[in-house]
Amino acid sequence: MKLVVALLSSVGLAIASADGGGRIEGTVKATGLPSSADAVVYVQQVPGKFPAPAKPAEMDQRSMQFIPHVLPIVVGTTIRFLNSDPTQHNVFSPDHEKYNLGTWPQGQTKDHVFGTCAKAPCTYVQLCRIHPEMEAYIVVLQNPFFAVTTSDGKYKIDNVPPGAYSLGVWHPKQKAQPKPVTVDASKPAAVDFVLAK
Amino acid sequence: MPTTVWTVQRSVRTGIMCVALLALAHAAHAMPMFARKYQTSCQTCHIVFPKLNAFGEAFRLRGYRMPGETEEMIKQPPVPLGAPAYKKLWPQAVWPGEISSNVPLAVNVKLADVNTSTVNEDGTVTSIRNDLQFPQEVNIFGAGTLGEHVSYFSEVTFAENPDGSASVELEHARFDFDSPFGPEDLFHFRFGKFAPNVADGFQEMWISTDAPIDSIFNYNPIGLNGGTALGADALAPNPISLPARIRGIEGYGIIHHRALWVAGLANGVTAVPADTTGRFDGNNAKDVYARFDYKIGGMGLDGDTGGQPIPDKNWRDNSLRLGVFTYRGDASGIPYAVTTDVGTKANIEDAHFLRAGFYASVFYQDLNVFAGYLHGSDTLNTTDAVTGALIRAIEPTYHAWFTQADYLIFPWLQASGRYEAVTPADPSVQSLRIGTFNVSALVRANVKAMLEYQRDLRQGDNHSLNALLRFAF
Repeated sequence: MKLVVALLSSVGLAIASADGGGRIEGTVKATGLPSSADAVVYVQQVPGKFPAPAKPAEMDQRSMQFIPHVLPIVVGTTIRFLNSDPTQHNVFSPDHEKYNLGTWPQGQTKDHVFGTCAKAPCTYVQLCRIHPEMEAYIVVLQNPFFAVTTSDGKYKIDNVPPGAYSLGVWHPKQKAQPKPVTVDASKPAAVDFVLAK
Repeated sequence: MPTTVWTVQRSVRTGIMCVALLALAHAAHAMPMFARKYQTSCQTCHIVFPKLNAFGEAFRLRGYRMPGETEEMIKQPPVPLGAPAYKKLWPQAVWPGEISSNVPLAVNVKLADVNTSTVNEDGTVTSIRNDLQFPQEVNIFGAGTLGEHVSYFSEVTFAENPDGSASVELEHARFDFDSPFGPEDLFHFRFGKFAPNVADGFQEMWISTDAPIDSIFNYNPIGLNGGTALGADALAPNPISLPARIRGIEGYGIIHHRALWVAGLANGVTAVPADTTGRFDGNNAKDVYARFDYKIGGMGLDGDTGGQPIPDKNWRDNSLRLGVFTYRGDASGIPYAVTTDVGTKANIEDAHFLRAGFYASVFYQDLNVFAGYLHGSDTLNTTDAVTGALIRAIEPTYHAWFTQADYLIFPWLQASGRYEAVTPADPSVQSLRIGTFNVSALVRANVKAMLEYQRDLRQGDNHSLNALLRFAF
């Protein structure tokens, strides 16, 4: 999952980030949950257009799980859904424009473009009709300045253009209010969140 | 008819009393499946199991969920039966649920060394010494939660009988819907066979000896001049004093952390043994019951502490809890066969009956004193068993009460004393007085040894001394 996020971030940055960007880092604490992983920390609005990466991002279905569990992307990104299991899987989402990509066997993939998002973040839960316990989230954002927390809640967003922003956080089960952040290329900005139901 | 004709012989009363003294099986729960689920000790919820502390009572009332429970507290995460997101697809998809990751079963085993002295009908005394009832009974429990708003509890008890046969009783089997709507814990609903919350509290959760509180739960109200003695549990159909378990539907909830409301509907008296309809209810009428409690001081009934620190000794809960309860039943059309002293065969029906009472419980430091009082009234119609002609209609009343003190000497050692009294409805029958003294020791957190002495205070030759070992796993 970290690899995918890093890949997405680097692809986005290669296209859109300004030279001399700054870093935002911190910790997200999910209250009462055994892990603080899977929170998406993102800059809510950054001026400009951020084209989607040319290479599709990947979401795998392996060992009866969606991997990664949470996948943030820039609007316009194509997701390539792969089935690595010996059993057939399905992918559908009841959110926003809704889609059902059908069912396919091991080794095959299907692509879906997340081309619109009226008000970021646009969250699409990913479900499998065949295995109802499978669940994942795709979070569509306006810009590539985002990160997914590790199990200890830490995150780091690099190469953010200097300026004043609002930093948001999204989590599958909990939430927190956005916080202001000022990014300076000379030193990292630290922002922590505490999530609650 | 002369009154003397209808007087039940004293020897019969004595026999029933002995049955009561020997009736050791009762419901009390120690359910280690929760120790496994939360990876916590029995003492989190129990004082000397199965007696609950305030936290355990909140856990029970909240449908087996800890006060302020978070996912972090659950060390054995449940298996999801559908992603939570499926909720928004309903009714186009099945509403998701969950089950525990381990089979949610627990076993209680009880071994007893029984010593009894019993007065026989002819006035002689039978003494039994060191009857090693190994085991006396085995209980298998299943309990847990099924997602956010559903919980369940079941109990099957196995016991061997002296004649070599075995008895199996499904003591509990219920589903609960916990806070399905409204403020949290204000509305809970349960369906099945269960201990009604009308009495659960001073029978189930506070029970701390091996002897059931027979004065309240085992009085037999059926008699030619009104009820005469205990022993209702041994009869069929089961005449109701205050039912320890019912088949029914119940709603209950907690108001502002401190008040408990209960309202329920029960099948009532069971059908006669010879009934061939296959029904459990002896007639078409349903019984109803209600209860209201208020707790002053200590932890809230839902586990709320009001932001105050709780005592570091988790059995302490300095508080006063007061409650009133009532149960109204209808046993019309259900015959109880009796034979008079002159050999006349007759049937008695309890057309309708009312039980009402109150209880109080005080916790102060290591001492818990609690008491219950019950007033009962019945409408007994006696008819000739052959002709069906009404012979007599009476409306007898009785009352029963008990008080018990539990003192925790050490966290693993508790002493209990109980006094029970029943004034039967039949005025010709002397009131019953029972004394029970118990010492319970936790050999381990889940292994309990007890020494218990019970005595009929009116007839001293009726007594028992039992040593018991009980373990839960």
